[in-house]
Amino acid sequence: MKNFSRFARGTGVVLIVLAIWEVLGRLELIGQGALPAPTQILAQLWKDRSDYPPHLSVTLKSAGTGFVIGNIIAIIAGAISARFRIAETLLRGLGMSLFAVPLIAIVPVLLLAFTGTTPRIILAAMAVYFPTYIATMNGMRNVDPRLVDVVMVAGGSTTDVLRWIRVRSALPHIVSAFRVAAPAALLGTLLAEFGGGTRWGLGTYLLGSLGQANPSRLWSIGLVATAVAASAYMLFALLGSRLTRSSMSATVQTALPMGGATGPWWKRLGGGVISAGVVLGLWALVLSILDMSPVVAKSPFAIVRYLTTDPRASLSRSRLFHAYSETLPLALIGLLCGLAAALLLAVIFSLRPALGRAVLPFALVSQTMPLPALTPLIVLVFGRSILATVVVCVSVTFFPSFVTISQALATTSTAAIDVVRVSGGGRFKSLRFVGLPGAVPAMATAARLAAPRALLGVMIAEYLATGNGLGNLLNESRGRLDYGMIWTVATTSVLVAVLITQLFGLAEKLTRK
Amino acid sequence: MNPISRRQMLIRASAAGVGLAGLPAFLAACGGDDSKSSGSSSGTSTKFTMQAAWVNDAEFTGYFVALTNGYYTDQGLDLNYQSGGPDVIPESTLLAGTSPLALTTPDSTIQAIVNDNAPFVIVGAQYQKNPLGVVSLKKNPINSPADLVGKTLAVPPSNTVSVEAMLSISGVNKADVNIVPYEYDPTPLVKGEIDASVDFTTNVPFTIQQAGEEATSFLMYDYGFTIFNDTVVVTKDALKNNRAEIVKWLRASRMGWDENFKDPSKYPPMFTDTYFKGTGRTIENELYFNNAQMPLIKSDGGIYSMSEEAIAANLEALGAIGIKGTRDMFDTTLLEEI
Repeated sequence: MKNFSRFARGTGVVLIVLAIWEVLGRLELIGQGALPAPTQILAQLWKDRSDYPPHLSVTLKSAGTGFVIGNIIAIIAGAISARFRIAETLLRGLGMSLFAVPLIAIVPVLLLAFTGTTPRIILAAMAVYFPTYIATMNGMRNVDPRLVDVVMVAGGSTTDVLRWIRVRSALPHIVSAFRVAAPAALLGTLLAEFGGGTRWGLGTYLLGSLGQANPSRLWSIGLVATAVAASAYMLFALLGSRLTRSSMSATVQTALPMGGATGPWWKRLGGGVISAGVVLGLWALVLSILDMSPVVAKSPFAIVRYLTTDPRASLSRSRLFHAYSETLPLALIGLLCGLAAALLLAVIFSLRPALGRAVLPFALVSQTMPLPALTPLIVLVFGRSILATVVVCVSVTFFPSFVTISQALATTSTAAIDVVRVSGGGRFKSLRFVGLPGAVPAMATAARLAAPRALLGVMIAEYLATGNGLGNLLNESRGRLDYGMIWTVATTSVLVAVLITQLFGLAEKLTRK
Repeated sequence: MNPISRRQMLIRASAAGVGLAGLPAFLAACGGDDSKSSGSSSGTSTKFTMQAAWVNDAEFTGYFVALTNGYYTDQGLDLNYQSGGPDVIPESTLLAGTSPLALTTPDSTIQAIVNDNAPFVIVGAQYQKNPLGVVSLKKNPINSPADLVGKTLAVPPSNTVSVEAMLSISGVNKADVNIVPYEYDPTPLVKGEIDASVDFTTNVPFTIQQAGEEATSFLMYDYGFTIFNDTVVVTKDALKNNRAEIVKWLRASRMGWDENFKDPSKYPPMFTDTYFKGTGRTIENELYFNNAQMPLIKSDGGIYSMSEEAIAANLEALGAIGIKGTRDMFDTTLLEEI
């Protein structure tokens, strides 16, 4: 009964918001018609209904194929890493690169090397690798030692332990990683589709619909993409809850152990160098297998030459530096705003849970809507300004941060809260003295997890809307056929993103002490 | 397995079977394909790939006409048409070896030859006059570069240098024009946030019309930016080894364009359920486009013609923006063989 009234109230809030939206849209109050009414969006969707099946089926096929391939590789790599520490060290660089890489910087490079839907599949596979890899490794490693003993005592081998205990223990973790991986696969596919190459795909449709002065179309594409991402998410959430028989409320993996390396600094540094070497080696290997023209394909050495000994090196360096000087501050501002918004909602949630629940569905939609679909909508409403860039950034960093922070607020020590209560403090006091201090390390964790998303968000906004920074540098380099710069942007953006995540990781360690 | 060629086949087949539009595409493909292969000299056709410069729109109508009417098959070519997109660099497909022929912008191609020794040769030009122009609203018209003084002009970042060259050729100080970045969206122009934008004059006036305003425009070509667009580019290797196929492609494509321009309103609606299906653009838009581009593509020397004067004008205009091309980057002898 209580559940029902809560559900009714939630529905009521959603209906009220929709009604307000309808009025705003009909009266063209926001951005002179940039926000159409829900009924207008539905009407457009109905008008275009025959366009969607061919586009959607191609998108789903590419995203699905990439999802399967990426996850198979991630599960195998995770299983090997769980078994052999050395494999974990070797693969750490690859995992971190794939976690941090702004996918949009990779699209031009993939389109240079592959045709048809292959770039989309690869980008989707890249997007799913990291969460599944981490989940598999942790799931297989953290098993109950007593269970292992049981198998061993019964005469079982290591293989039996693997089959009966480790695989079973990892399964719920893997499925919960799929929840994150499925929308990520869709994002990767859409980004590559937007880049072009073949006729079909939701991203291609979006591209053709830009600049048509038809906001309803852009909104309907965005909502369809959101529906796909949300269904994929819910499918695996359902599967996961069946597997674990427990309701995990967290929607994003929060405690991704990145700084897993322990030991003296020289050992960690050595591990870092080796794992970076693995990434560079893989890169050189793929290039040599593909046998591409050296004009188009650049090896790691070619990029170093491009930035140092090439006659145009100093010009290239200054253009690259200029682009970063525009992009990075915005990403930082966006990240901080996103964290602040997340903290605010998390606090509201812990003080007034009902209010929080009402806001959550809309936060979820903004989170699930794939970036290439979301950005044009934000541009419609906020214009092509710095504000639009920051809003894109906030919308991609907000939700994972919210989950991380509110978990920290929820798990603050009850004993400590009791102390506050006993001394006469209320909810506000316990939040102030126990909750918020406890949330500081969570903020650092959230920053680490969200930093690569912030960078991607800014780059997409620059690429689609504002025309500055790294996103624009990619655009310009394409026009100039400056392949060296295209590869340089891809490489340096991975390096910078990894560096930033490491820095926040350090901050996290310091605040936890 | 090549997904593109399979889709291509499907598209071509359903274009052939006009009455079959309602049938499942799969069925149409089977039926159409059969009639196709029995209709032409089967077995002898050579596979030939071309890389277009953008997503499917009226800019490429001539190729769709030639595909639909079987001009390529008549020449013994089995054409694999690859659409473009924002991240697709047409020249890259030449270097990567995935396509022997691409439609490009002459500035990027010549720059690549000059800077990177890219082995490219320009063998034809689809647009005799580049369709880029300065678009404004009729109620606040800008009819020449001189009118831009004191106004706000939105320019795509990749065209800034060209616009500055046009201004300096026309004797306008670039400091007197407020140049802001533009991303091919007419909304700011319609809403009066900017006075003019640099965009394709063949396309954007239609969108502006749809938004309830009348547009006016002038070509940058007419004020010193005298370059082609959609130049037909091949590699030196392809020129040596596939010369015959390239000539056949030029011949069939010219037939497609000639047929299309007999009545520029005829073909775009025929591609509603094939080449223009699901592009997110309307057929009315493509009709406008196809009519507007006719004077820019047609040439006394025939479609793709590159006259000596035009080549010289291209080299001069590119020289003004720092791209130093030479006459030997153009090869007009293939056109003579058509």
